[in-house]
Parts: sequence; C-alpha cells; structure tokens
Amino acid sequence: MRPVAALFGVGSMLLSSTAFAEEAKKGMPQLDATNPLILSQVVWLAIIFLALYLLLSRWALPQVAEVLEARAATIGRDLDAARAAKAAADEAVAELTKATRTAQAGAQAEIAGAVAAAKDAAAAQSAQLNAKLDAQLDAAERQIAGARTAALGALRQVATDTASVVVSRLTGIAPDVHAVDSAVGAALAARGVAAGHA
Amino acid sequence: MAAGGHTIDALGQFELATVFGPVGASVRFSQSNLMMVVAAALILALLYFGMRAKAVVPGRLQSMAELCYDGIYSMCVDQIGHEGKRFFPFIFTLFFFILLGNLLGLVPFSFTFTSHIAVTFAMAVMVIVLVTVVALRIHGLQFFTYFFPAGAPKLLAPLIIPVEMISYLSRPVSLSIRLFANMVAGHVMFEVFASFIVMMAGAGVLGAIGAIGPLALNVVLVGFELLVAVLQAYVFAILTCIYLHDAVHLH
Amino acid sequence: MSGERGGGKGSFEDRLASARRKQGLDAPPPGPEKSGSGGDLSPMGVGLRVGVEMVSALVVAVAIGWWLDKWLHTKPFLLALFVLLGGAAGIANVWRLMAPKRPPDGP
Repeated sequence: MRPVAALFGVGSMLLSSTAFAEEAKKGMPQLDATNPLILSQVVWLAIIFLALYLLLSRWALPQVAEVLEARAATIGRDLDAARAAKAAADEAVAELTKATRTAQAGAQAEIAGAVAAAKDAAAAQSAQLNAKLDAQLDAAERQIAGARTAALGALRQVATDTASVVVSRLTGIAPDVHAVDSAVGAALAARGVAAGHA
Repeated sequence: MAAGGHTIDALGQFELATVFGPVGASVRFSQSNLMMVVAAALILALLYFGMRAKAVVPGRLQSMAELCYDGIYSMCVDQIGHEGKRFFPFIFTLFFFILLGNLLGLVPFSFTFTSHIAVTFAMAVMVIVLVTVVALRIHGLQFFTYFFPAGAPKLLAPLIIPVEMISYLSRPVSLSIRLFANMVAGHVMFEVFASFIVMMAGAGVLGAIGAIGPLALNVVLVGFELLVAVLQAYVFAILTCIYLHDAVHLH
Repeated sequence: MSGERGGGKGSFEDRLASARRKQGLDAPPPGPEKSGSGGDLSPMGVGLRVGVEMVSALVVAVAIGWWLDKWLHTKPFLLALFVLLGGAAGIANVWRLMAPKRPPDGP
C-alpha cells in the first residue's frame, strides 16, 4: 500500500508539471523558489521550533521527569518495604515453626514420661497385688495343710481308738496301745496316706 | 479547495498564504506557521494539563503525557545509549512537532506544514548539523575517519571518501524527501478522490451512486494516513536517533 | 490469569522480584539484547526506503557536481563523475540499510 501511495505521489508530482500545469501554472507550490513565503516559513519554523524546544526542555519535560522520578522513588520505597516485610514475615514464620517444633518435642517427651510413670505405677501396683495375693494364697494353703494334718491326725486317733475298741470287744483284752498305734500307722502307710500328713 | 468543473487542482492545497491580515503579511506569517504554532501549543497543553495534577497514580491525561515522555525517552536510550538522555528533549520536540504537524494536516481546512519540502529539509538540516557538531565535539578531528572505514585499501581512498561524503550528505535529503513525499502523496490522493466525488456527484443519479466508490476510498485513506502520520514522525525521530548514535560512537 | 496469579509457593517472591526488576531496582537477568533496528521493516517500507536512499544520494551528488562545474568551469565532466559517485553512494546507503547489524558496541 505504501509504495502505491509513494508512486501515486511521485506520479502526481510528475503530472503536476504536465497535465495539471494549465491549472496550477507554477507547478508544486512547495518548489516555487520565487515565493518569499517559502523562506519566511522556514524562518518562522526556526523561531517556533526553538521556542518549543526551550519550553519543553526547560519547563515541561523536567516536570514530567520530576513526577516520574517521584513515582519511581515511591514505588521503590514500597517495594523495599514489601521486601523487608516479606523477610520479616519469613523470619517470623521460621521462628513460629521452630517454636512449634520445640513445643511438640517437649509435649512428646512429657507424654512419654507420663506414660512411663503410669506404666511404672501400674506395674508396682500389680506387683503389690501379686505379692498380697501370693501371701493370701500361702496363708490359705498353710491353713488347708494344717486342717488336713489335723484331720489326718484325728483320723489316726479315730482309727486307733476304733481298733482298740474292736480288739477289746473281740478278745475281751485291752490291746497294747503302742502295738495298735504302729499297726494303724502301717495300715495307713499301706493305703498311701502318709503318716501324720499327706 | 475543491475541484473546478473539469480539472483537478490537487496542489492548490499546498499554496502558502499569509494570515492575520496586514500584520501577518508584514512579517510574512503564513497559515503553515500558524499550524506550527498550533502544534507547539497542543504539545505544551498536553504536558501542562496532563502534568498539572502531578499525581503518583496518574489520571488519563497524565498517563498519556507520561506515555509520550516514556516512549521517546526509551527510544533515545535504546538507540543512542546512555548519552541519549542529553538529546532526549530535542528528539521529543522533533517527534511531537512532526507528529502534530502530520495529524493536524488531516483535519479538514487545515494545512500540513510537513508537506513543504522547505520545512522538512530545514528540520533535516538541523538534525544533520546537530549530529555533525556532536560528532566533532566528542571525537574532534577523528570524526573524519568516519568517511574512510578502517581496513579499507588505501588505494580506494579517492573513491571511498567522496562516496561516503555523498552518503553522509544524502542523509538530510533522504530524511526530508521521505517525510515530504509521504505527506504530499496522501494529501494529493485525498484531493483527487474528493474531486472525483464532486465531479461524479454532479453527473446525475448514476454518477452520484458511483461517487460512493471514491468516498469509501477516502474514508479508508483517512485511516491509512493516520498510520502514515505516526509512522513518518517515528521514522524521522528514530533515524535522528540512529545518526546521533553513529555520531556518539563513530562505528 | 493462571500463570499470573496462582503460583502457589513462591509466587509472591516472583511477583516482588519482577516488580523490582521493572522498576530497575534489581539488575535484570541477563537475556538477549534488544535489537534496536529502527524504522519500518515491512518489505514495502524497505522498498520505499531503498528508493528514497538512492534518489537522495543522486540528488546530493548532482547538486555537488553541478555546483563544482559552475565554480571550476568544467561544465559537464564533474557532473558526470558525481552522478557515478552518487550512484555508488546510493548503493552504499542501501547496502548499509540491508546489511546485518554489527554486534552492539557497549551500552
């Protein structure tokens, strides 16, 4: 599109000196060197351009620069603050994590200690109970054994008396106490009952 | 401004005339100069009203003013380098003066001062004088090595030096011709199509219907010319930056 | 949106870092240098520039030749010579326009 435009422009420039010459006798007004306005236009251009340049460089552009610099400073400050805040937050988080971990470890240890203490207490209690039960059991066994011995002793007495009575009735003679006693003892031993106690 | 009965006056729009009656005539102040003043006033107004608030969070106008500032500033620094900051006000003035000149030319009944080769050439000469002065001040007489690249065979010096000098001197010419030709071409096309519209519309119902064609073309052309106006101002400014880069760094 | 916001872990740091970079507070990470080739780079724009460069070189050359001829009274010769030189300068201009950019020399 642009070369087309340029060609058109060049073409019209060429045409301007031929076909359009009748209408615009002087050709392109821009190239009319005899026109004093061309020169004065350039002089005014210089004046206006210089004035614009001075106004822009001395007054307008420094203003913009000032604002932009102030903004850059503000943003820089804010970003620095953000970075500092971020660092502080990171530090706080790290500290918190550490504290949490320490607390956790402490709690763990305490729990373990409590459990151990409870275990110890329970063990001691059960040992005590066991000992008591053992003692009771022993006592009971001893009692049983005593009762049994007593019973067995009574049995011998009964057997001896019975044997003495039976013998005296049958024979009419009172047997020798010792003989009866040893015979009963032998009989008891033969039956498997230990003399005195079993 | 409009076309006559059967001929097209596409160039009358570039004719200079004095304004402000006898006062203007006595100092030869033309409508072209008036548009320059308008352009300068608009730039200053944008910066004045835009930056009046000096807000940290900018409003619409302030954003625009800052965008203008920032765009040209980064162009200077990108193209010229660190030293570009010193030339920033000049580039800023140049770019917005040309831009406003191009854009104001698209307003009906106004005048395009960038369509005058004398104006564009004067600005281009200003640029090239600045570039040369900068190069001479920074590099002194070393500047003249610019016309003879190191490593070139000495035997070719009589050929290379004139060629390089012509090339250097052709910079203002190409700079001014490019801007001038683009502006003239656009405005001539406007005028030609507008004349077609008038001519065809004057030729009865069928002609009036046919006139829609050039009318549509002119509408499209307005958008296209807006683009060209910005682009040419940009090209002028960036080439100035590139020349200044060469002057500062002497490649 | 997703790439901008929901970074989850470290997204605040990334955003802070990028904001600082944008403000020029931190050095930007080393990356490819911005290529500062100016002007319009569409093929048509390049075509127009080639034409303008050639024509302006010739205009300057003709002007110098004509002026030197007038000054030294060597009517046609210097003009002819400078037209040739102008053509060469135009080609040099175009070549410079088209040639790949030199590596950037400093900031």
